[in-house]
Amino acid sequence: MNPLLSVRNLFVRFGETLAVDDVSFDLPKGGALGIVGESGSGKSVTCRALMKLLPTTALAKGEINFDGQDILGASEATLNTLRGKRIAMIFQSPASHLDPLMRIGDQVAETLRKHTDLKGRAIHQEVLRLLDVVRIPEPERWAQAYPHQLSGGMKQRAMIAGALACKPDLLLADEPTTALDATVQKSVLDLLVDLRKSQGLSMIFVSHDLGAVARVCEDVIVMRKSRVVETGKTREVIDAPQHEYTQMLIASHPDRLTLHTPQPVPQATPLIEARGMQIRYGGGGLIDILTKRAGGFLAVKGADFTVQPGETLGIVGESGSGKSTMARALVGLVKPAAGEILFEGAPAKPLGRNRAAYLRDVQLVYQHPYEALSPRMRIRDAIAEPLRRHKLCPAQEVPARVADLMAQVDLDPTLGDRLPAQLSGGQCQRVAIARALAMDPRVLIADEVTSALDVTLQAQVMDLLIRLQKERGLTMIFISHDLAVIRRLCNSVIVMRRGEIVEAGPTGQVFDDPAQEYTRTLIDAIPRLEAAHP
Amino acid sequence: MKILRFIVSRLLQSVPVLLGVSIVTFLLMVNTPGDPIRLLVGVRASDETIAIIRDRYGLDDPILSQYFTYLGNLVQGDLGASLRFKVPVSELVAQFYPVTLFLVVYSIVLILPPVILLSVWSAKRPNGPADQIIRIVGVIGLAMPVFWVGLLFARFFGVTLGLFPVSGFGTTIPEHFLHLFLPSLTTAIWVVPILTRNLRSALLDEMNRDYVTAGMSKGLGAPQVFRTHVFPNSLLPTLNLFAVIVAYLLGGSVIVETVYAVPGMGKLMVDSILARDYFVVQGATLVFALTTIVVMLAVDILSALIDPRINT
Repeated sequence: MNPLLSVRNLFVRFGETLAVDDVSFDLPKGGALGIVGESGSGKSVTCRALMKLLPTTALAKGEINFDGQDILGASEATLNTLRGKRIAMIFQSPASHLDPLMRIGDQVAETLRKHTDLKGRAIHQEVLRLLDVVRIPEPERWAQAYPHQLSGGMKQRAMIAGALACKPDLLLADEPTTALDATVQKSVLDLLVDLRKSQGLSMIFVSHDLGAVARVCEDVIVMRKSRVVETGKTREVIDAPQHEYTQMLIASHPDRLTLHTPQPVPQATPLIEARGMQIRYGGGGLIDILTKRAGGFLAVKGADFTVQPGETLGIVGESGSGKSTMARALVGLVKPAAGEILFEGAPAKPLGRNRAAYLRDVQLVYQHPYEALSPRMRIRDAIAEPLRRHKLCPAQEVPARVADLMAQVDLDPTLGDRLPAQLSGGQCQRVAIARALAMDPRVLIADEVTSALDVTLQAQVMDLLIRLQKERGLTMIFISHDLAVIRRLCNSVIVMRRGEIVEAGPTGQVFDDPAQEYTRTLIDAIPRLEAAHP
Repeated sequence: MKILRFIVSRLLQSVPVLLGVSIVTFLLMVNTPGDPIRLLVGVRASDETIAIIRDRYGLDDPILSQYFTYLGNLVQGDLGASLRFKVPVSELVAQFYPVTLFLVVYSIVLILPPVILLSVWSAKRPNGPADQIIRIVGVIGLAMPVFWVGLLFARFFGVTLGLFPVSGFGTTIPEHFLHLFLPSLTTAIWVVPILTRNLRSALLDEMNRDYVTAGMSKGLGAPQVFRTHVFPNSLLPTLNLFAVIVAYLLGGSVIVETVYAVPGMGKLMVDSILARDYFVVQGATLVFALTTIVVMLAVDILSALIDPRINT
């Protein structure tokens, strides 16, 4: 039987850089192939080349044959009869791939208008049916909505609906679940698995997460540095990886990481305590004052928690649950509407007069390392900035302290003269951690520090944090939507949902015997390598 | 409903601005050099006459109560009377304002088509030959002072070729169009390059957005993606700049109207300043400020209609 898609010796070149180096594979009709690799491995470029959706600067060579049609040699006009109609694509961040000014229904309808003869009412009916297929509740209502009114998961569903509109033969999914929460990720993956069965869809699924690929695909190719390093049945690759990179990839998966037993902490005066913390966004506008309402949106509805010295507290929850907001309140980036924060048993005012002294003890590391560092400041200066600004050591000792901090986070001293853009995401995150450590803080708040990183880098950063905690006796608050990461790092955990703490307790207890249905859903949603098709 | 709430809140927000404007114009009059009564009655009036008139006009009242009297008059549309023409300022405004409005709208009509055409053309091939030429011509247009271009045009089109009248407003609508063509063109010459550069860079930004890739992946083709996605998204930043420029055009009418002797608000303003006709200057300032607020409000509402994210 002829394969639906066959790729032979594909090369893609951007100027001097070879982004895809001699990639070949076949996809049978109805099959699903996963492409796994870290960022920059060429997996996304490969995926886009299949639709010839590359920037004009890219030069593609080789052969891509889709159902008898040569893709790379095809004219733009021919390609536009294939794109959307026979080959459809969904993308990593649904938020930026939807036009913010266009109603969801119209964006789904675009494909129908272009490729079918449907008109008016018929299109509307078909759009509603599609939104229903991807399990968007109340399709009638959400078709009228604009993208910013939808949650991340809903946006991704809407994009899938648009991709399915013309019943394509092949769906290209480029990291479709990476930007989503675990529970949402699970539901989107389940949807894709279902659609494969019900619509006979062939699929190429690109992801850095082998667990996600294992759920959807029976075949997988592993890419690294533009080349294919391993191919095979997903199950077999997971059970018996041949290439050392694949072995490392699997060993780094949160599923396979050895459980680290956090050091037990003695019961003492809590180092940080929050009492009845409420945080409100917006509100207080002219109309709100006139109508005597509080207005705005309550992001955290009364949170109480304590952190013992030396403890690592995990805060989990889906996006929008208020976990990051709470972290920002602890360092005074947002002002709580009510409640108080205690540091060493005494009321602390992160926004008050002693702000600088308090912040020396409590430091925050942010989710996106590139955005947290000034793009025009060399990393040596970025790390030295707090030392100089707060005169933490004599000026002549600054270079030595910076070198010491860089050594602590395993950064090569030669990197000091680089700019953030010249570093990898993992290296940038280390710089951000070193900068926070420059203050010699007693509490480190890590806000989703591993979420933007590949699995292998994630594992490295986690190891770094564990080591730093041991060496320096740091107290940590670790915020993540990834339960596997929390389980590995934290003594105790708080589960948040819609601004409220729904469950709290020692990590082991919460994970093994969750009291709340919601916690159980979160735990079940962790992508597991064992989920691979036999 | 949301859009209504938005409009109401914007209207409420303009109340303090209006009050501020009224205070500034009031202080403008209080602090004018010389005694307004002297101006009113002439130099030969006796001190008693002046005292009586001062009393009648309430000029001996506390400054705050003078302000509230002024504010009360404003609300009723009473802007005082011109010292020069001996008619109410509101009558003068009613006579001169439509001319300026005509001029500004006419300029906008001449500005928008080339802006859209040129910026789309530039953005099609950034740094290509067309883009370079448009940029150079644009810089020349920006660099030429308005009054100088005005004089050149008046001389060349008006006197040498005799195509257009070089002064006045005419009496019928077709005549208005003919008379105001050169003033509007002169204005367009410096506004078009500004807006073109702005819209071009907005277009280039939007062309690199992810939703463009998504649109291409649906097989829409580049022209349709440009029409339905890139262009509407690019308009928003330019629209805000456009509002500032329109507000500026109203104030900037002073130069163009003087060069072409157009009987509009700008000319009225200049003549009144030279003749020390303070109440007219004050009234005209107020009208300019009001128009600016209305233009800004209109553009805010227009942006909110285009962009669903604004009013939530």
